[in-house]
Amino acid sequence: MRGERFLLVPGLLFMALFFAYPLASILERSLATPGGLSLERYLRALAAPSYLEAWRNSLVFAGLSTLAAAAGGLFLAYWTAMLPLRPKRFLLSLYAIPASLSGLVVAFGFIVLLGRNGVVNQLLGAWGLPRFDLYSWVGLFVVFPLYNIPLFALALMPLMESVGRSLMEAARASGATPLRAWTGVLLPALMPGILAGSSIVFAGMMGAFGTALALTGFAKNLLSLQIYSLVAESTFDLPLASTLAVLLMASTGVGLYLLALWERRFRH
Amino acid sequence: MKALGWTAFALLLLYLVLPLLAPVVYSFSRMWLDVLPEGFTLEWYARVAQDPRYLEAALLSLRVALLAVAINILVGVPTAYVAHTWAGRTGQSLRRLVQVLPLLVPPLVLGLGFLLAFNRPPLALSGTLGIVVLGHAALGFPFFFRTVYAGLAGLEVGLLMEAARASGAGLWARLRHVLLPNLLPAVLSGSLVVFAISMGEFEVTSMVAGFGTITLPLLLFQSLREDFRAASAVASVLLYVTLLALLGLTWARRR
Repeated sequence: MRGERFLLVPGLLFMALFFAYPLASILERSLATPGGLSLERYLRALAAPSYLEAWRNSLVFAGLSTLAAAAGGLFLAYWTAMLPLRPKRFLLSLYAIPASLSGLVVAFGFIVLLGRNGVVNQLLGAWGLPRFDLYSWVGLFVVFPLYNIPLFALALMPLMESVGRSLMEAARASGATPLRAWTGVLLPALMPGILAGSSIVFAGMMGAFGTALALTGFAKNLLSLQIYSLVAESTFDLPLASTLAVLLMASTGVGLYLLALWERRFRH
Repeated sequence: MKALGWTAFALLLLYLVLPLLAPVVYSFSRMWLDVLPEGFTLEWYARVAQDPRYLEAALLSLRVALLAVAINILVGVPTAYVAHTWAGRTGQSLRRLVQVLPLLVPPLVLGLGFLLAFNRPPLALSGTLGIVVLGHAALGFPFFFRTVYAGLAGLEVGLLMEAARASGAGLWARLRHVLLPNLLPAVLSGSLVVFAISMGEFEVTSMVAGFGTITLPLLLFQSLREDFRAASAVASVLLYVTLLALLGLTWARRR
């Protein structure tokens, strides 16, 4: 009803105060210099090798994480969709856990299993095999799919349930090989869900730092960790942190925009 | 081929579950030096329960989470309602906006923004309980909105509200007696999601909190270095909170 539209006022006020205003403050702080507004800090950030490396690392890390989540999420959603209702419901609640769980709990779990004296390394040591290093890039690629694969599967699930199974059966019935059925029929039909899941995972990974901080401290050069260290550590420099944060948001935004353009081709 | 698929599926599930079980097993075992843990004990829980620092942090986390939920109910329910009843472009762009907010503004950026925006008058909040509560409320808002909005989709709520107005109910009465009861399961679900996010939140909190606002996850971060035993109990408690919230969610959805 038209007369009730003013009920939007609290929501708009909330978003203006707690999203728009903080973002504007970041932008303003990144541009402000004693001599007025300038792009000086951006030029400085883009000329610094360590920040360039952090930026590149973050893009590669988020990109690879998205691909891993897509592979794992597709597989997980496909097999989950084949189950009877009860176990399926149970698993879907299970997939919701990592997203709302503290990243520190996940870090703790992996330290116990894969840390220096963790269960896996005890076994590897006993068999005389080389130890697994959780505190390396490979380690981070073992940890983060725990969030990303279920997240991706959940984003894909509605589409997988509505079209996935019947399409697969139809394709197989008309004589397509499994590979042909996947690449020619199922994947194109699931594409909107795949791209939605990719957006969520890519954006999440660009900004992720809590679990990485708990595991590797500042040893890995990621843009998110650089920003956090400029805010929370002795290298305290909020204007520079703001500049890097704008670069981070811009990169995420470009990535999301490209995914949205791609998704548009699959509508209708 | 089929058997291979099921095996891989089972292994993937194991990968998803084991890291969540590890803190719990650790928290109940006396020693875990070898491959398998040894001895059952409640000592680590007792240690945490007797330490006033953990107790204070837990109570603070609880307070923050409840306040963040309350703010979301007050702001999120009317917003989702208008987004639902406003037909056409405007309603749709509103929904889109709230949907991309958490993607474009990760906790890291929100924390930095809060730090900059609310550290000068008229809104000098940095280091206070208020900034932590508002940060958690903002983080949870898109998820609360999404849940309540989905709950509205199955209801003819526009018609109900129209009928109530035709029979003379004022706006407050309509919200209180028509909208809220119909939306109760969705509001409860959204509240549980916000509650779970807030209880485990580390990233924004660590950026905006002061020395007087040490929440449970902040204390857990310290314990990871200082006292791994106590950390296992705290990590497990945070896991139990999330599990309880999700159980409540399943229950609310069934009704």
